[in-house]
Amino acid sequence: MRRTRGRGSGGTPRGPWAAAWRRIRRDRWTIAAIVALALVIAVSLVGGAIASRIVGHSGQEPFPYAVDGSNLHAVGPWTHVPTTSQTNLDQYGNLLPPPKGSPRTLLVLGGDGPLGRDELIRLLDGGRTSLEIGLGGVLVALLIAVPLGAAAGYFRGIVDAAVSRLTEALMAFPLLLFLVFASARLGPHLNGVAWSWVLPRGVFSDALLIGMFTSFYPTRLIRAQLLQLRNAEFVDAEHMVGASDVRIVVRHLMPHLVPTLLVWSAVAIATNILLEVSLSFIGVGVAPSTPTWGSMLSSVWGTIYNPRTTDPNLWQTLFPTVGILITVVSLNQLSEGVRRALEPRAVT
Amino acid sequence: MRVARFLIRRLVTGLFTLCALLALTFVVYWALPSQPSRFVYPYAQQLSNYQVAHANHLLGLDRSKPVQYVDYLRQLAHGDVGRFWTGSQLVDNKKLEQTPIGPTLFPSLRITLSIIFGGAVLVVLLALPLGTLAGRRIGSVEDRAISGFTLVGICTHPMVLGLILASTFGTIGLGWLPSDGYCPLFRGPTDQCGGAGAWSEHLILPWLTFALLFLALYTRMVRISIAETLHEDYVRTARAKGLPERRVLQSHVLPSASLRVLTMVGMEIGTAIGVCIYVEAAFRFNGLGRQAVIAMGGASFGIDLPFTLAIVFLISVIVIVGNLAVDVLYAVLDPRAGRETARGREKPLVGGVF
Repeated sequence: MRRTRGRGSGGTPRGPWAAAWRRIRRDRWTIAAIVALALVIAVSLVGGAIASRIVGHSGQEPFPYAVDGSNLHAVGPWTHVPTTSQTNLDQYGNLLPPPKGSPRTLLVLGGDGPLGRDELIRLLDGGRTSLEIGLGGVLVALLIAVPLGAAAGYFRGIVDAAVSRLTEALMAFPLLLFLVFASARLGPHLNGVAWSWVLPRGVFSDALLIGMFTSFYPTRLIRAQLLQLRNAEFVDAEHMVGASDVRIVVRHLMPHLVPTLLVWSAVAIATNILLEVSLSFIGVGVAPSTPTWGSMLSSVWGTIYNPRTTDPNLWQTLFPTVGILITVVSLNQLSEGVRRALEPRAVT
Repeated sequence: MRVARFLIRRLVTGLFTLCALLALTFVVYWALPSQPSRFVYPYAQQLSNYQVAHANHLLGLDRSKPVQYVDYLRQLAHGDVGRFWTGSQLVDNKKLEQTPIGPTLFPSLRITLSIIFGGAVLVVLLALPLGTLAGRRIGSVEDRAISGFTLVGICTHPMVLGLILASTFGTIGLGWLPSDGYCPLFRGPTDQCGGAGAWSEHLILPWLTFALLFLALYTRMVRISIAETLHEDYVRTARAKGLPERRVLQSHVLPSASLRVLTMVGMEIGTAIGVCIYVEAAFRFNGLGRQAVIAMGGASFGIDLPFTLAIVFLISVIVIVGNLAVDVLYAVLDPRAGRETARGREKPLVGGVF
């Protein structure tokens, strides 16, 4: 594995990771993806708070004057609306024009849906929740998959048979239906787990359930790779010097799995974000008040029980979709880049 | 002979999978708190112990658990998918009248299968040329453009995509195509419309929605396949013979690439049913995906067990039969089949999107 012949560097030994990083650095598309991802993460972590300081309102504040009363369409990007949340209605329930000289505030990306909240702040906060669900799902999946896959691949025999048959049977069934079932039945019990703005209501349960039901793929990946590795000579050598099974797996076999799991994780974060959107459309995802990219889309287009076809707001479709697009495409490119850098001999 | 043995083994595995999934449904149902007696006495404020026991007896829940499972398998073997708990009527306080599930479920099955079948054909028709174009020169401008375009299809959720297509080209928008409703291929006595023309006209937009979602996956698959095949010795031989590039691609590279696409189509049927939930919702079809979501997520008194079991049964059968059909096709097309198909059939990673 270790490469000792560095180009013009006086023969300093270089590990596989350093070599991989050198290859990634030459791959400008992957670098672009890393930069884009870093931007998305940074902006969704602190962007919402900064933006709400600058414009002077939070993402939860409704602005009745940001909504057109006749078709409940929100105003478009870059609109100044009166800050008042009090509404003066005439006798027919129509909104009266606000009093002259009332203070105004800026909605940079316009309002959201019938409530007229700030779309930009919701988009940024939603990005954070979506990324949390994506990453949390991957962590949960790995927590389940690593011990299970390692046990199946290393000990083989009955453990392997049980794990393999189980994952095979479960993978035959649509993943989404499992998720719908689990969210509808277990979601209400898990929704209580929340912690200020870092972990809004429903994020924990979404991440946990998505992670649980996507853990079959990494389980099989780990199992397949350990089945190959366990016959390697260095494993025999470990046995000979009296290393325990746990030590062999954790210290000597796990490091070989890191590249595979890294490549898988990048794609899995992307698919988890898309799964969250899907769950929102079924109405079993996070609470509708919590902004995520999925709940923002489903507030425009309705759920599968009640899809909305009459003039939905295209602005509010565009922003979350672009957010998803940037994140998913970057993660995809990152995964490709890492894979290519770690196994340079692959053709593609 | 080896192929036959391989297929029999796959069939047995499939049956095992089916029984395991049904057993899992039972176990999960028993593990979750539920009030099945509510299905029998929907209007009662408070149920007496007698009523609960009576309802359990009428629904067959007073039998022992293994007996319930085996009885259910026996019932399926006789071709009966069971009766709804929801909407059951208590007659004379001793008999339960229930609606059979079959008449609701089977019409929705043909909708979903129509979407999947036509959509899969469309995906293959689009992915083969696009993937070939991209795979011929990895990293070129065409390759980047095609990858980018197909990824947009994945990131726009099928529900959004379907609704946008319906409101643009459907009756509400340009009026080129019907924007909702389903027409069966073979018109039955109760159907509003039917026939091949009406069928395909109503399904063009759903097919397109379905295809755009899966396009990224399959284009990538064909692209990688082509790129790898181009390095094979026999391609070099073909070029050395002086064949034009077009001919090399057509008769030497594409056939082996399409084989891989074929196996993927078979493996992705479960995913496709998941996607159909949204395609059906966007075009207001009452398909299997919709029924499945209702069974899994939305009964008011808890889980309607026979309905859920019927859904699990039907979807598993579709997936297993689909896999088997692809195996048979593969065995016919590839003379080496038998051993190879069993290995290397890992579901691709990106396939877990839905």
